[in-house]
Amino acid sequence: MADRTTEGLGEPGSSMHGVTGREQSFAFSVASPMVPTDTTAKFDLPVDSEHKAKVFKLFSMANPHMRTFHLSWISFFTCFVSTFAAAPLVPIIRDNLNLTKVDIGNAGVASVSGSIFSRLVMGAVCDLLGPRYGCAFLIMLSAPTVFCMSFVSSAGGYTAVRFMIGFSLATFVSCQYWMSTMFNSKIIGLVNGTAAGWGNMGGGATQLLMPVVYEVIRKAGATPFTAWRIAFFIPGWLHIIMGILVLTLGQDLPDGNLGALQKKGDVAKDKFSKVLWYAITNYRTWIFVLLYGYSMGVELSTDNVIAEYFYDRFNLKLHTAGIIAASFGMANLLARPFGGWASDVAARHFGMRGRLWTLWILQTMGGAFCIWLGRANTLPLAVFSMILFSIGAQAACGATFGIIPFVSRRSLGIISGLTGAGGNFGSGLTQLVFFSTSRFSTATGLSLMGVMICACTLPVTLVHFPQWGSMFFPPSKDIVKSTEESYYEAEWTEEEKSKNLHQNSIKFAENSRSERGRRVASAPTPPNVTPSHGHV
Amino acid sequence: MAGLSGILLASLLILSCFAETSFGVVHFSSLKQTLTVTASPKPGQVLKAGDDKFTVTWGLNNSFPAGTDSAYKTIKLRLCYAPVSQVERAWRKTEDELSKDKTCQFNIVTKPYSASKQSFEWVVERDVPLGTYFVRAYAYNAANAEVAFGQTTDAGKTTNLFDIIAITGRHASLDIASVCFSAFSVVALIGFFWAEKRKGKSSK
Repeated sequence: MADRTTEGLGEPGSSMHGVTGREQSFAFSVASPMVPTDTTAKFDLPVDSEHKAKVFKLFSMANPHMRTFHLSWISFFTCFVSTFAAAPLVPIIRDNLNLTKVDIGNAGVASVSGSIFSRLVMGAVCDLLGPRYGCAFLIMLSAPTVFCMSFVSSAGGYTAVRFMIGFSLATFVSCQYWMSTMFNSKIIGLVNGTAAGWGNMGGGATQLLMPVVYEVIRKAGATPFTAWRIAFFIPGWLHIIMGILVLTLGQDLPDGNLGALQKKGDVAKDKFSKVLWYAITNYRTWIFVLLYGYSMGVELSTDNVIAEYFYDRFNLKLHTAGIIAASFGMANLLARPFGGWASDVAARHFGMRGRLWTLWILQTMGGAFCIWLGRANTLPLAVFSMILFSIGAQAACGATFGIIPFVSRRSLGIISGLTGAGGNFGSGLTQLVFFSTSRFSTATGLSLMGVMICACTLPVTLVHFPQWGSMFFPPSKDIVKSTEESYYEAEWTEEEKSKNLHQNSIKFAENSRSERGRRVASAPTPPNVTPSHGHV
Repeated sequence: MAGLSGILLASLLILSCFAETSFGVVHFSSLKQTLTVTASPKPGQVLKAGDDKFTVTWGLNNSFPAGTDSAYKTIKLRLCYAPVSQVERAWRKTEDELSKDKTCQFNIVTKPYSASKQSFEWVVERDVPLGTYFVRAYAYNAANAEVAFGQTTDAGKTTNLFDIIAITGRHASLDIASVCFSAFSVVALIGFFWAEKRKGKSSK
């Protein structure tokens, strides 16, 4: 009988398992006998039969599991720092390079576009070389792109360098993949969710870090147009330091053996073409791709424009604008997990319908506060509305990944990847439409972006699960269609089902009955399915 | 007694004239152009930031009646953007409300007001960006509010403009350091990779 923990390594999309943060349980640990502990292994944390940790001990650096967690999220954090490092210094850079608003906007679009492609490549790199080298390669090869800022002397050069630095955001994939080799799948949700949120904080930390570094360099005697170039050496050095730490302190697997990883790739793989097909033909995939573009996407866009906005609109000093902008990104520490938690609480009472309503409410409120932010004429009001906007948007990100695991079991990895790409695409689009033109001010751009958020969140009303219903409609009355099994089995052909390839989907369907909310107890055993003898 | 109340009334009247200015909301359109300002660069001349210098000369326009300058206490000379340098750059926008106006972002000199013509030689500072400029002088009263101005160009800001070329901010030492660290990063990565591959092979 296949142990759920061995599944996945090498399978298409397996690197994205757990990225959702909401898979099945939101637990800090997995108790035996649910997953038996391997008592022969000598690790600091209790491990399962594959030597993956069963416990998530946040403030430990125990090798290899927790050390991997910290190396991983800090690497991702570093890449966020360097991708958005230019944003708080734009008031200086725009004078040095004689940029127009269009130039600044284009560079912002470029900074988030590169990673749409690099994230796709990164999955393959992790499969080939392992996540440790995947992470180290990316972070150390993108260090030269950060140092390139010292050469930039025109708008074109500035845009090109920001585009290249943006490739480094693919460390997201290596981060999640690496942790799925180190943590048991029952707690991988929390682990990956925490890492994603903390990594995103880098977009906030950089708004604080770069102006401070700039001021220090200025006080040391450099002119403004040289000081900002020197300031870029800090993220560059962070790349090199993290790359070396990952290479020296990290290891691919709990047992430290890269070769074994490649042997495990012999596990029966699912066909990539089939997995892709079921991902792209599921209409819900595309609705969530759009929605994530207006939660994560607007978060990234705001990271790029907010410091300059406060500097210009309220005549603040550079580091004051940076502090305010930083609080936007740093809210990720709590806001994103809060969204996931809210989704889980709603599911307990109202099932999947509760999750959908939670997402719609959080994201629409984020949009409303964004409208308010653009219209706020005084500094205290603007800061207040910005903080509420950040909570709404980031909680919506967390809530989105509360629903994604249930859209598909077979194609979860690809759907998660597509959703993530949708985030970057949404960011590029909003920056292009609202913040790259002089026809209206940045304040108006923010308000219009808020309107677009509210409008693009409406499609979530169309997401309907036959077994659970949608925001406005109850589940299907059809006795067969209203079962979880029929939904998840629909992703397999009869031929595949006859070979019993769909066993994991059946197990998942049983476990997903919790998405009926309070009706779980009354759920009838569907025909043609033998009742399970206890959950794994 | 009558004299005292007369003085009190007069000062009340004078103070009330300054009431608007002392609240800080001064509009450019309310200022009188009573100063004449000239700058040494010829129209269209190109100056280099950090290297070149120019001279500004300013004083009261004598065609105005005597006593016009009774309130002027200090004069500030500023370098201002011409309209062509404000296109597509909302952070340099001209606003009538002076506290919001971003036309003149660089200070040339601040001097106490004197009725006679004064001049000052200024080295273009190294943080002045590429652009087309003119020079404007603001006269401030004792409450440090603007009361009058003068500028080297006409009302439409089309004549007597000069260009400034900024420094690049780049330095050879920075470029070299950048290349060195980049090379280190790539070489370190390749070195680690190769060393581990070798160890892997030799341990088999």
